[in-house]
Amino acid sequence: MSAELAPMLPKTPTKSHGPRTLSATMFANAWRTTEFRIGFFIFFGLILLSVVGPSLLGVSPTKFSVADKFLPPLGFEGGSWSHVLGTDQLGRDLFARSLIGLRNALMIGVVSVVGMFLIGSIIGMIAGYVGGWVDLILMRITDAQMAIPVIILAITILGVSRPTPVTIVCVLILAGWPAYARTARSVMLSERRKEYVRAAKILGASNLRILLVHIAPNILPPIAFVAVLDVARMMIIEAILGFIGIGIQPPTPTFGTIIADGTKYLMNAWWITTVPGLLLAISLCGINLMGGALERARNKLLQGVS
Amino acid sequence: MLFAVDFFLRRLLQGLVIIVLVAMLIFTLLRIVPGDPVRIMLGPMVSAEVAEETAQKMGLRDPIPVQFARYVGQVASGDFGRSFVRSAQGASTGGSRGGDTFDAANRASVMGLILIALPYSLLLAGLSFAIAMAVSLPIGIAAGLKSGRWPDRMALYLSSVFVSLPNIWLALVLIFLVSVKGGLLPAIGYRNWTYAILPAIVLAIELTPVFIRSASVAVSSNMMESYVPSGMIRGLSRKRMIVAHVLRNSMIPMLNVVGIQAIGLLLGSLFVIEYAFNYPGVGLLMINAVFQRDFPVIQAIAILACMVLVVVNILVDFAATTIDRRLQY
Repeated sequence: MSAELAPMLPKTPTKSHGPRTLSATMFANAWRTTEFRIGFFIFFGLILLSVVGPSLLGVSPTKFSVADKFLPPLGFEGGSWSHVLGTDQLGRDLFARSLIGLRNALMIGVVSVVGMFLIGSIIGMIAGYVGGWVDLILMRITDAQMAIPVIILAITILGVSRPTPVTIVCVLILAGWPAYARTARSVMLSERRKEYVRAAKILGASNLRILLVHIAPNILPPIAFVAVLDVARMMIIEAILGFIGIGIQPPTPTFGTIIADGTKYLMNAWWITTVPGLLLAISLCGINLMGGALERARNKLLQGVS
Repeated sequence: MLFAVDFFLRRLLQGLVIIVLVAMLIFTLLRIVPGDPVRIMLGPMVSAEVAEETAQKMGLRDPIPVQFARYVGQVASGDFGRSFVRSAQGASTGGSRGGDTFDAANRASVMGLILIALPYSLLLAGLSFAIAMAVSLPIGIAAGLKSGRWPDRMALYLSSVFVSLPNIWLALVLIFLVSVKGGLLPAIGYRNWTYAILPAIVLAIELTPVFIRSASVAVSSNMMESYVPSGMIRGLSRKRMIVAHVLRNSMIPMLNVVGIQAIGLLLGSLFVIEYAFNYPGVGLLMINAVFQRDFPVIQAIAILACMVLVVVNILVDFAATTIDRRLQY
């Protein structure tokens, strides 16, 4: 019976024929807004710039040149085309340094959010699926984690251990996963009793397949915008860690370390803090525009459903 | 009355579990990182035997669970131990001192250090809260009442800009423009309360988007409820409807956001901003303690910060259930 029916059923819902999933609708709706597109182009423009920019500039971000120190940006007195956005206290090109800083910030932001998303979702789904005392313990742990402000946890761990990009990402994941775990768990709890899960089970789908193919995509709508906004938050935290001196260590330039360098020369070389700060603010703006648009798209979706 | 007792008992017990878990996490983390606290206290000049003897005497060689149990016992009686590096006179010691002058009574008590710094942080936090409220409530409520029209859009743009400003950078820009160039407000250190204004503005700008958003969402969703038109049909003016009913009902979600999100945000940012402004509050104490590897101070502040969050959480939920008894706890 089932063998005869099987060929008639589409194996996977294809985009053109089957109904669009909730998350696909949400992304499509968000994409239709101007804010999302502006944010998207800013974000991907900056990613492109941070990847190819440093080599296009042809200036080393770490090369000292005492003769060129404290050069202001182009358009101010003493500025020149060789250092478009000026130089710092050691004559290093600020644009090149800021772009490397942007690359580091983006990398840490994106990798840590992907990490906390994956780990949080897996733990949350396990908690929701298994239930019982596993659920209880996992949720108490997320309670405890959520009671520690991210920055305090990061300062405590990174301040007393040696900060490398890997440890920074680990600390951020450690601080950020509980929110994702909670969402994944609540999605799991509400979805597992629904009709389509039973239908999939009757059709002979394995538990793992139901989890990954049918339930997992439903985690996206409530958490996608949080993840996008979290990239911005993690980038700010990365800058803060660098500023305090417990981020990625010099000579690798990061937003935080360049800004911290500039504080000593705020009086006569304002551009040292301004250039990386503005670049960071622009990238945050792009990310926040995308996140905001996604959030509104999701809210609209919820209103439509209920 | 019985309700309140039941509520607090249940929630305090839950909170206690959370705090013990957090304390365990921080305590263990600080014990497994490389670096011997005895070396930090006594400096590199001390012989290995003296260092070992001191460590034994202080119980630093016991297994971590034993140390943790002892620490919890101390904390339960209100004693957070003594600083590794700061002397009771206030000066930071440690490093080059000889082992023979090492003496527990000489070192500052952690609680004392925190109590000295706390009023400064409270002043800063209170001021930033007041500024943020004064700016964001009118904007947020206007945005909520005219949902989808220009006040709403303006509020959205304003919060998008504010939320994209990195706080450390904003701090430096304001120090440069307001303090160095403008000479309007003092910025670095602390002599009188005016030194708190500039850092409070930075913190307020960080809080504003959260407040605006929660106010506008709460007000606009309440305006869509059916009780608004039905009240107006019964002859209540729109103004009275808004002031007496919509705003009151909007308080619950706002209280949640202000209590939990804003306090959490503030607890993190306060530390960084105090550091950027060299403002002598708890945050600066913590960051300096991290640099000096002053573990008792670090763990005390981290645990207290979590306690504040947990207690605020409980109070917020209690306030919410008192305002609206339909809410379950």
